[in-house]
Amino acid sequence: MKALLKALLTTLLWVSLAPAICKAGPDDAADAVVTKLQSTLLDVMQHATALGYTGRYDQLAPVLTSSFDVPYISRLVLGKYWSTLDHEQKSEFIKTFVNYGIAAAASQFDGYNGETFRPVSKEQLESGRVVIRTELVKTDGEVISLDYLLSEKDGRWYILNVIANGVSDLSLKRAEYTAVIRDQGFDGLLAQLKQKTEEYKEPAAK
Amino acid sequence: MNRYQGPRKVSIFFWLALHCLGGGFAYAQSRQNEAVGAQTTGPDAAEVDAGMEATNEGSIEADAASSDDPLESVNRPVYNFNDTLDKAILEPIAKGYVEITPRLVRTGITNIYENAAYLNVILNDILQGKFEQAGADFTRFVFNTTLGLAGLVDIGTAVGLEKHEEDFGQTLAKWGSGEGAYLVIPLLGPNTVRDTPDYGTALVTNPLFYVSIANAILIPVAAVGIINKRANLLDATRLRDEAAVDPYTFTREAYRQRRAFLIYDGHPPAEHYDVDEFIEQEGTEDEEFDDILFIK
Repeated sequence: MKALLKALLTTLLWVSLAPAICKAGPDDAADAVVTKLQSTLLDVMQHATALGYTGRYDQLAPVLTSSFDVPYISRLVLGKYWSTLDHEQKSEFIKTFVNYGIAAAASQFDGYNGETFRPVSKEQLESGRVVIRTELVKTDGEVISLDYLLSEKDGRWYILNVIANGVSDLSLKRAEYTAVIRDQGFDGLLAQLKQKTEEYKEPAAK
Repeated sequence: MNRYQGPRKVSIFFWLALHCLGGGFAYAQSRQNEAVGAQTTGPDAAEVDAGMEATNEGSIEADAASSDDPLESVNRPVYNFNDTLDKAILEPIAKGYVEITPRLVRTGITNIYENAAYLNVILNDILQGKFEQAGADFTRFVFNTTLGLAGLVDIGTAVGLEKHEEDFGQTLAKWGSGEGAYLVIPLLGPNTVRDTPDYGTALVTNPLFYVSIANAILIPVAAVGIINKRANLLDATRLRDEAAVDPYTFTREAYRQRRAFLIYDGHPPAEHYDVDEFIEQEGTEDEEFDDILFIK
């Protein structure tokens, strides 16, 4: 009887593990990127007050810069203007853009009200990129869909885009930035982004 | 005769403003609106979605991809006019309103106005062939109007009849109509040509419109609705003001993308999100940028 029970339990264990084993593949690295990002965001939200703006910035910076393919995103958001810039200008944009992005996150994730993230699905695209769909659930029951577009580069997966309830961050920024360059030139865009970064900092000083 | 026409014209104008002002600010960064967006998943949404993709995917994909804005030179001044007016008058009033009313009261008021607007949802359920959803939405409307005390209490959601968001602009999209030019209308805000006929269907299907016009209380009813709607969007506009380097473009793109999201009933196909179309020129991929530094 004991042996039977043991055999049964072993079988059950293998059956329950099987899907996990079968599913394991290179793509799981993509899930890991999203999971790491979301757990960092949750952690920052939960300790937002203790960390303060600077603490949140410091904790978010390494995770954001390693989760997102920043140079590639920079190129995409500048559209046709990217190729008109020299290497120095491109570097300057990337730095400014990254600072702005981290400052925005440090400013916006400034508190915790019981939100949780939950995974929904993963789809492979024709291009080889992957869309990971997740949801942010608030305590009042509100659900925000958060989809991530990831791409593989040199054996690592990076996020290229975040889509919140259908609104693509990349498309929004691309439309904005190209419009600002058209109207105010590349230096105008840099100045605007730097000013926005400063403004994100300010509430922390109050 | 003039004595009647004048005020009525003003009243209808107010009513229109009530209906669309929220839409004007409704880009999807909106936390409030996101709730609505995330709830647009009917039980048969996938099925309907699949049907729609087959018939109409092309026009939606084209919408999302297009950043062309032929009326930009007219739209921008109108956007600035609306924004100035909002910042000077409506936003401060909405903030004051939030300060003096408890959240529960604002939720109740929002429920009443949204319930009154719900026949337009049901009409467009039917026009889009979503008969099962139309049935559920009709039950929801009856529950909320009767047991829910004219919409005050959202009984429907409590018993599992979720709120849907349909309008005539979405119906036209599903019928195959293109988006048309992006259009910023004075006081009413962002629109596309395809979205404007909805002002008509929303007006004629709204019982609150008939009740308040019959009792000569249209202006106060519309005013409360506008203020309440604006209050619900305060978080969204704060996010926009913080993040946008070009608020006009930000609003335009968010508006269009949110519309596409709604047309897909909250389930755009994953391919919709790929970035191939963004890649302008090859040849710079190999450029190295090792010196990504952050300055606090």
